[in-house]
Amino acid sequence: MKTWMKILLGLFVVGLIAGFLVYKFVYNKQHPDYENVAPSVTINAQDLYRAFKDNKDAASHLYNGKMIAITGKLGKIEAVDTLVTAVFVFNQGMFGDEGIRCTMLKKLNDAARKLQPDGEVRIKGYCTGYNETDVILEKCSIVNQ
Amino acid sequence: MRTNYLILLFVATLSFSAGAQKYITKTGYVKLFSAASLEKIEASNRQVNSVLDGATGDFVFKVLLKSFEFEKALMQEHFNENYVESDKFPNSVFIGKVTNIKDVNLMKDGVYDVVVDGKLTMHGVTNPVKTKGTFEVKQGKVLGKAKFTLTLADYKISIPGAVVNNISKTVDITVDVTLDKAN
Repeated sequence: MKTWMKILLGLFVVGLIAGFLVYKFVYNKQHPDYENVAPSVTINAQDLYRAFKDNKDAASHLYNGKMIAITGKLGKIEAVDTLVTAVFVFNQGMFGDEGIRCTMLKKLNDAARKLQPDGEVRIKGYCTGYNETDVILEKCSIVNQ
Repeated sequence: MRTNYLILLFVATLSFSAGAQKYITKTGYVKLFSAASLEKIEASNRQVNSVLDGATGDFVFKVLLKSFEFEKALMQEHFNENYVESDKFPNSVFIGKVTNIKDVNLMKDGVYDVVVDGKLTMHGVTNPVKTKGTFEVKQGKVLGKAKFTLTLADYKISIPGAVVNNISKTVDITVDVTLDKAN
């Protein structure tokens, strides 16, 4: 095989591998395994709620888009279809209870349903923000203390 | 910030409407869908706050944009960072009215056609939205459904030049909320 052909073939193979890697790790990259993502912030649940309530913009800048572990007294567990939400209650408004709403990972719904209201729990989840009534954590899991 | 004041004003108005029966949810559903030559874009959001005043027809819903879930992680990143800029504009809010609320008997089970008219704020831009939908009254609950189409340019959401011919310039929005009587 002539040298120029070898170079062309080499470039083609390198291009093919690069294309595959871009497809797999960039274009088609998977969502994080949320249950195993380490929290970048650990905070008392009431302090997190208060931070958003007092200064939404500052708290959004600090916490939105981050995996946050919160500890506090669980208010209740809500279940709507396949959506199970652990709720920490700190206030009352026109929407009823207000606080932090933690939407559980679907595979942990059964474990979440067994959580006892008024019990102290630690839950971590991906913070998507504050909607004027609640701080929202999603893809949540229970952290063993 | 102006939007927040409007919401507070709206909520205050609802709170003090004498004898008004309010219907609320915190787990409403919004889906966005856009079909294009490159690929379809589809995302759903279950973190929708919504409230309806049964007497006046006043209706509001609020969506946290970071709560939209896409099948592809990269698409979700692009949606938040390049399109809706959710760090800068975390919420989308609709404030409006069911204009024919008098045609809906909230005490009687059934499916009622409704017209919703109001203003949608997203990406810091507010535009009028008017759409048809249905309210299904069932065992004291109101199941609201509506569909409408948004044009991205109306909300100053720009499509990067490299993919401008492969991404749809409009997005179909589906709203599905189950409103419970507020206590």
